Amino acid sequence: MILRKVIRLLVVLGVVTFLSYVMLNLLPGDPTVQILGMSATEEAREQLRQEMGLNSPLFVRYADWLGGVVTGDLGTSYITDIPVLEALVDRLPVTLELLVVAQVISLALAVPLAVAAARRAGGAIDQALTTLSFGMLSTPVFVLGVVLILVFAVHLRMLPATGWTPISVDPYWNFLSVLLPSITLAVGQLAVYSRLLRTDLIATLQEDYITLARARGLSPRRILWRHALRPSAISLITAIGLNLGGLIGGAVIIETLFGLPGIGRLIVDSIFARDYLTVQGGVVLISVGYVLVNFAVDLVYAAVDPRIRRA
Amino acid sequence: MPRRLGWTFWLSAGWIGLLLLAAIFADLLPLPRYDETLAGAPQSGPSPAHPFGTDGLGRDMLSRVVYGARVSLGVGIGAVLLGLVIGAPFGLIAGYRRRAADAVIMAVNDIALAFPALVFALAVVAFAGAGLSNVLIVLGVLGVPAWTRLIRGATMAFAEREFVVAARALGARDSRILLREIVPNVALPASSYAFIGMAVAVVAEGGLAFLGLSVQAPTPTWGGLINEGRGIMETAPHIVLAPSFVMFLTVLSFNLVGDRLRALTDVRQSGLEPARPSAATPLPTGEHEVAGTLLQVADVRTHFETPRGTVRAVDGVSFTLERGRTLAVVGESGSGKSMLIRTILGLLPGAGAVSGGQVYLEGREIGDLAPAEKREILGTRFATVFQDPMTALNPVRTIGTQVMEPLRVHLGMDRKRARQEAVRLLASVGIPEPAQVLRRYPHQLSGGMRQRVTIAMALSCDPDVLFADEPTTALDVTIQDQVLRLIHRAREERDLAMILVSHDLAVVSQWADEVIVMYAGKVVERGPAAALFERTRMPYTEALLQAIPRLDDPSHHRLRVIEGRPPDPARLPPGCRFQPRCPYAGERCETEEPPLVRAETPDHLYACWFPVGTGAGIVEGTESRGR
Ligand code: SF4
Repeated sequence: MILRKVIRLLVVLGVVTFLSYVMLNLLPGDPTVQILGMSATEEAREQLRQEMGLNSPLFVRYADWLGGVVTGDLGTSYITDIPVLEALVDRLPVTLELLVVAQVISLALAVPLAVAAARRAGGAIDQALTTLSFGMLSTPVFVLGVVLILVFAVHLRMLPATGWTPISVDPYWNFLSVLLPSITLAVGQLAVYSRLLRTDLIATLQEDYITLARARGLSPRRILWRHALRPSAISLITAIGLNLGGLIGGAVIIETLFGLPGIGRLIVDSIFARDYLTVQGGVVLISVGYVLVNFAVDLVYAAVDPRIRRA
Repeated sequence: MPRRLGWTFWLSAGWIGLLLLAAIFADLLPLPRYDETLAGAPQSGPSPAHPFGTDGLGRDMLSRVVYGARVSLGVGIGAVLLGLVIGAPFGLIAGYRRRAADAVIMAVNDIALAFPALVFALAVVAFAGAGLSNVLIVLGVLGVPAWTRLIRGATMAFAEREFVVAARALGARDSRILLREIVPNVALPASSYAFIGMAVAVVAEGGLAFLGLSVQAPTPTWGGLINEGRGIMETAPHIVLAPSFVMFLTVLSFNLVGDRLRALTDVRQSGLEPARPSAATPLPTGEHEVAGTLLQVADVRTHFETPRGTVRAVDGVSFTLERGRTLAVVGESGSGKSMLIRTILGLLPGAGAVSGGQVYLEGREIGDLAPAEKREILGTRFATVFQDPMTALNPVRTIGTQVMEPLRVHLGMDRKRARQEAVRLLASVGIPEPAQVLRRYPHQLSGGMRQRVTIAMALSCDPDVLFADEPTTALDVTIQDQVLRLIHRAREERDLAMILVSHDLAVVSQWADEVIVMYAGKVVERGPAAALFERTRMPYTEALLQAIPRLDDPSHHRLRVIEGRPPDPARLPPGCRFQPRCPYAGERCETEEPPLVRAETPDHLYACWFPVGTGAGIVEGTESRGR
């Protein structure tokens, strides 16, 4: 079981990196132009290509690069001369903090909202949540971010609009600087999570064991939180794992909007600079993160549902 | 059954239509051109001349937003069509020809999910050139996996349906089946998803434009407008708010239209409690005397409002029950017997149920009690065992947690005492090694063991009335008898009153003191078990009795089943509800519903115009009380 899962995820990793490598390399745009500028002679370019190994077949170059990746060497950017791994590790904490805080915010709100909505499906709270989540789902992150900046930073002057304070420098300012971006990122998740959990809760509430719990005279609150929540959580947990790719997309925009020095910003900058290796490194990092999170999700499954634990 | 789309749908569709028209005919509108600088004073707020104000170069914002809609809607619609054209055929084939295609689709899905789509879109657009067609193609292609998944799911659902299976069996060509039977049915979910997909594409295009990677200036895009306005947000917030607002409305409209279309195929769901507790007025109750017996059920009813009409699941059931007695409720499935139990206990599903009638415990009506008092009675006076032990226990909680819970909640025991008591209870229902079983999960026990656990739980708070709803039907034949004996022993030891719901008359005749026979929600015969079985009056009871396999039957004797089917609960026949299946039916049965009348034995009641074994109709002057 575990072994099959490992193999599957490794295959996913391989295909994702290969596809992205091939596509990035097939796209038009000559890296030598970026490095040497427009005015360089063709001989100089050719020499550079030789040095960079750009003339060997694509597959060989991918194999070379992959060999490096396995040993922890993602190459060194032609543009900035910084080792890709170093650049990524440097930026990673910012993005991690953003993602984690956003997840915590969205889950902390989504679970109670879903429980309240499922208690009386079709009732006032449920309808309000439905309406609200439509609004939240329909607000693009850059629209929401701009509005939040306008309200909280420009008008109320409660929070900084842009910029980043590392936690090691000042935890309080770090918290303030991560707050708006993570709320922006959390809103869409909140809508998705609360809808998913609500639907599954309602399905669970039709089960015999819930009817029997009611027949035993247990209170609605106890039934919802202690009896129904855990068996209903599987889709939610799955979504948390699968959503990472989508979250990274949001993070790219949010880091640009709020001026956070994270992975997303690094990837955007590298794309504009035609810094293939760094972009490629970013893709690897994201896919590895995806695989790791999904491993963790599998472990959480077993904790939530004993039937999944293997005897 | 047509369902309404609701006003949100039409409002949203109207907004999309309006925007679409404005985008197409933007050149004809009385607006300054989007790139005309100094159409008004730079950064001026909304005014009659410029409803959305002007931007930093004095360009009219309304015009820029309208022209921006061209890009947004163009990409939205284009990308969805592209994704559909590529993804739908894959999905149809994968859903129709399962096995081979399934593996491939799953693998592609895995990869698509691990792939950071927006990063990829950014890279492609950046390297291939930012422009309408590139953005459209990239977003369209990125939507293909989702389309394949959706169409595959919808196709699979329909490929199983009778009409498709029938067409396949008749040897219709696959392409014909796909085109004639499946495509029309997949069209609704697909059109719903098309709108949601457009919302996704519009947002994605906006994100690219915001990063400067969509159609390039001077052509305005919504994302680009928001990005431009960002810098001067403090002095001229309208520049950023106007496109933001329009974009929000548009995405919302796409989502709402998609959702309303999807909702056309939805089933109604209910939560833990009814959505609006006060909305349903209780059904009227017939007159009755409060007897003060342990349990009295008076004229209990439960009706469901369904799109097909009112379903009278329980239609006026009355009885009384004394301590130490067993009342059996029998009938075919769908006769309302399980629903009767749920109505008495107040455990109706929320959606569309209306109930009426009264339940008294020792003369006190329990329907009027406060929720906490009602729960106290449910927990300590009543106990319930359901049919299927596989679904009766919570799969994610240990047996110990579940058995100990009522003890702790209702009897206020601490953890240690509750554990000791739980061990004792499990031992008392014949579970070996009870201390170990407490640590197990339900799926680790056999069906018989699980049912013993649910019985132990039912007995834990020393109840007075036990409701047993087909307690052995789901069990192995060999275990059935053990469990019945266990229940019976508990009943004797504790002097419990029991309501035993069963379709098995052999079981009923062995254990019950009194019997109620239900048909289509109504009591059709009721009386002491001996009288009812020996002097059966109602043809339906007779039919049930004849359907029991007898041990002394010669082996070649054919098991008799009751002819016909139970009636459609939403379309009951007029007159006697059993009339279409009744061998004795006469003319009167088609028009008049027979009331419950008294037979010659005391307490024996039946509802029939031509009762069995009497040769005639009603015995003179014995109209029963109530109905
Ligand atoms: S009333 Fe008529 S139809 Fe109904 S059970 Fe009696 S004989 Fe049959």
